Order: sequence, then structure tokens, then C-alpha cells
Amino acid sequence: MPLNSIGFLFVFLPLCAVLFWHLPRPARVSWAPGFLLAASVCFYAVNSLASLLILLPSVILDYGIARLILRAHPARQGLRHSLLIAGVALNILFLGYFKFGAVVLATVNQTLGTSFNAAPAIVPLGISFLVLQKIAFLADVRSGQVKDLSFLEYLVFAFFFPRAIAGPIIHYQEIAPQIRRPVERDPREHLMVGICLICIGVFKKSFVADSLDKYVSPVFSTPSSSELFDLYPTLITSWISLLCYAMQLYFDFSGYSDMAIGTARLFGIRLPMNFNSPFKATSIVEYWSRWHITLTRFLTAYTYTPVVLFLTRRRMKKGAPVLQGKKSKASAILTIVAVPTFITMILSGLWHGVGWQFICWGLLHGFYLTVNQAWKMLRPRFWPDKASYERVMKPVGLVVTFFAVILALVFFRAPSVTSALSIYAGLVGANGVFPETVQLYHAAGVDTPWIVMNSKTLIGAVWWLVVLLPAVMLLPNSLALLSRYQPVLEGELWEGGLVASRLAAIVVAVLGVLGVMTLNQGTGFLYGQF
Amino acid sequence: MTNTLIIEKLTPILREVFYDDDIVAVPQMTASQVNGWDSLGHVRLLVEIERAFDVRFDATEISTLKSVGDLADLIERKREAAPQGVGAS
Repeated sequence: MPLNSIGFLFVFLPLCAVLFWHLPRPARVSWAPGFLLAASVCFYAVNSLASLLILLPSVILDYGIARLILRAHPARQGLRHSLLIAGVALNILFLGYFKFGAVVLATVNQTLGTSFNAAPAIVPLGISFLVLQKIAFLADVRSGQVKDLSFLEYLVFAFFFPRAIAGPIIHYQEIAPQIRRPVERDPREHLMVGICLICIGVFKKSFVADSLDKYVSPVFSTPSSSELFDLYPTLITSWISLLCYAMQLYFDFSGYSDMAIGTARLFGIRLPMNFNSPFKATSIVEYWSRWHITLTRFLTAYTYTPVVLFLTRRRMKKGAPVLQGKKSKASAILTIVAVPTFITMILSGLWHGVGWQFICWGLLHGFYLTVNQAWKMLRPRFWPDKASYERVMKPVGLVVTFFAVILALVFFRAPSVTSALSIYAGLVGANGVFPETVQLYHAAGVDTPWIVMNSKTLIGAVWWLVVLLPAVMLLPNSLALLSRYQPVLEGELWEGGLVASRLAAIVVAVLGVLGVMTLNQGTGFLYGQF
Repeated sequence: MTNTLIIEKLTPILREVFYDDDIVAVPQMTASQVNGWDSLGHVRLLVEIERAFDVRFDATEISTLKSVGDLADLIERKREAAPQGVGAS
């Protein structure tokens, strides 16, 4: 019963929402956290009870560590710090076992000729997202941002079902006050915003993202064995497929995020923003402030910033130059800009999946971000006039950022590095330009997965791209459209925003109906696999 | 040093870090309103503030700041905790 299923949308969710808002009023204050926890347990029970049972001990252990940190005397900073380190290490081991256990064990068995069999049977639902959330929680307890702790609220924070599959990654202090405050008497605005976001989300996921899969999977299923390495998809096929994948991933994950935010809002709870029109970004730094925002803020707060600060202070102590804007020295840029960026993006790659292709994706983004940051600092030296720079470079930046992002997506989607390289070869036309060229292979008796992508199929893909590319670059996003009603916790959206009207309701309803009608195409959410 | 004085002293630091002589620090100012105030710019700014005000921040404190007002409050708290600072005027 994922978020994009009939059972969730038409049975589980309406039932929970109706019960929530119709609980006896005097009891609501104390009922809300218990109710949300019970609903979340039901959600896990229906989807994957085993996940709940695996995750629960680690969630309770973190609560115990958090209590110990809070109880430790403020003067005993060493103890508090050691507890935090222990908690973070346990979380990383826990996630590492489930994500990398099978691969590591297979390698060990192969190398040593052993036959250990301790690989995890399942990967618990949303474990990657929950582990980051738990690490942030421990760090926030240690830094004093979480001062009061309630076990019930903590369990809701950990298992809150709208975000169970793939985030957003939330902080305890963001959600606890919302759970504990008295429920408002009038739920109409919450329900309106929630239903709008769910309708838009299900449309994005089912009608758009799932429809694009037939243009993506055949090409990205390119065999990774070296003997077929020469059989690249052709130039046109590769580019169309890659553009379709960029759109599929965006509409899939932003659709999921809209549904998660909308689902939480049905219970009067606002989640943080996860997407803000990433393809409108005019630089790669800006792109990361708009794409998977809650992951970016986690990595920035708990990896990037501490490393930059540590390296800056270390250089200052040694008397080495630190960043000084346009006068920054190359050594300072390499140490303080490149090193933290590459560390952060490689970690991001590893978090996303197992395989060298994710590390390559992280390295590419590390490179992009380093170049972008270095240029931002040094630019006044080469192009001092800021106004003329922005006038010329903003449109250029939009295009360059878009292509940089989608070229890195090849590694993100391909099943292996070899497979990714064959797509890159296709993108530069190493196997001809037109789709029909590949059919020559077919005529020669070679069966390739991308043979199905003939010109006729590709025309359908082009129509999608003609509509979707301008839409993602020009139109306001779902959260901006609802900005009058504070759809998310914070973040600067469009100053305008739609006013509730019959016309808007009809448009949203049509989107919702189209989304529901195409639900049967549905696959899991792409980010659910992480 | 009062909160107002701290904010006044932040203006030249912000101008220097983000190369923009039009910046005037006000409590409501947020990072998104200043060109270049991204994650790296934020750390550079905080390191400059540490030098100017003779205070020291934790990485986690840095990440929680949402506005110049928050920043000034944090500097004030830090200076109260360690009033022997010599870098401020």
C-alpha cells in the first residue's frame, strides 16, 4: 500500500483523516500523538511489518542515547560528545549493514572462498531516510536544539507514515511542537491544501513520471557486459531517453514529496519543503538548494559545514592562507572548497546506492560544485561588473546547469559504470545518429534492449519533452501555487499564489482524476529504492 | 555591546564577504536576499565574525541561524558568556 495506490488514497487515508478530525474534542489534545502513532504503525503493518520490527530497536536505542546526553551535566562535554559519536557510529553501521551487507559479504566469500550467509533478508522501508533523521536528532540533542523529549512524540517523529517511504528528512524540533499543540477547530484549510497537494502529486507521479518510463528503461537497461560494450544506443535515442529520465525522476520524486507533504497536512502538520523548481537554477550551487532540499540541508549541516570550518581553522592555526574572496589562493581553494565538497558529494553518492556509478555521480557533482564555488569567489577579478555579468550569465547558467545535471544523471540511472559509459558513447554519436542505425544490428541477428526505441516511439517522447521542459523551467511549482496557505514549514516561495476558487478546484480535481486513472501504470517511487 | 551595535558592525563584514557595498544589515535579512550567501559563504562569513567579535561558534550553531537577527543574538549570547573579548570595539 504505497502512497500511489487505491488502498492508500481511497481507504486508509480518508479513514485516518476522518477519524482524526472527529475525535472527541476534549480528548483531542492527548489523542493526536497517540492517534498518529497508531496510524503510522498500521501503515507499516500493511506495507512491511518486518521493517517496523527491524527499525524499532534502533529507534529506541537512539532515544536512550538522547536521554543520556540530556541527562549528562552540561560541563561534561566530553561525555556528551562521546555519546553522540557512539550513536552516529551505530546508525552508520546499521544503515551500512542493510545497504552494503550483501555486497560486502559476497566480496568476502568470493575472495576468501568462504560461504558466510549473514546478508540482510530485506532492506527496511525508508531506512536511508530514517537513519539520517536519527543522526540529525542525536546531533540536535547534543547541540541543545532539542531540550524536551517525549517518547510518544519521538516515536511519531521516527515513524510518521506520510514520510516513511522516502522522506522528507525532518528534524525532531520541527515536528514535535506541531504534534503536541492542540488541534485546531476548523480543519478546512488543512484539508484543502492537503488534498490539492495529493492530487498534484499523484498526477505528477502516475500521469507523467510513470508514462515516461517506457522511453527510459529500454535505453538504461543497456547490458553492462564488456562484449556488448560496443552496442551503444544512437545519439538521438540517448539524448531523448536521458531528457525523459530527468523529467521522470523530477516528477516522480517531487510528486512523491507533494503527496507526503499533502498527506501530513491532512492532519494539520506541515513538513519542510523538498523541491523548489530545481530546473530554474542558474548555477549548480543553486540547483542543490532546490533539489531534495532536506537531504542538502542535512549534508550541509552535518558534513559540509563542520569540514569547512575544521579545515579553515586548521589553516588559520598553521598561518596558511584561508579563503579571501577574489584574492583567494589556489591552495586555499583546493583545501577549503574542493576537499569538503568532494567528501560531501561522495557520501551523498554512497547514500543513494551501492555501486561505483553512484560514486562517479558524486564525484561529478563534487567537481561541478567546486568549479562553481571557486568561480563565484574569483569572478570579480575577471568580470568586475556584477550587473553585466548577471545579465549575460544567468541565461547561460540556466542552460549549463541543466546539462551538467542531466549528464551526471547517466551515472545515477545506469546499472553500472560500464553501462553508463555506453550511454555517454551514445550521447556523442559513437554509434550513429538515428535510431534506425541500431536496427542494422537487429537485422544482423543481434538483439539489443534499445531496439524497441524506433523513431515512432521516440516521437511520443518528444511530445512529452516539448510540454514538460518549458513547464519545469517556467511555471510556478505546486508549493508556490499554494503559497498563500503556507504549504510547508518555511522557505521563500512565490509571493503571489492562487486564491481558492471553483476554477482552481476543478483544475486540481482534473489532475487528481487523471492521476488516479493512470495509477495502474504505477511502479514504486524511484527514491523509495534508496 | 548591544544587539543594535552588533548589527551595525555586521554591515561592513557582510559587504566585504559578499562584495556588495549596497548591503545594509537588518535583523530580518536572510541568506536568500544576499547574492553569494550560500553554504560556503555562510562559513566564510562566520569565520570573519569570529575574528571581528572574538567569539567561537560550533558547526551546529552555524547551521541553525535563519537571519541576521538570529546571528546578532548568537553573537550577543557568546559575548555575554565570555565578556573578556578584546576584538570588539
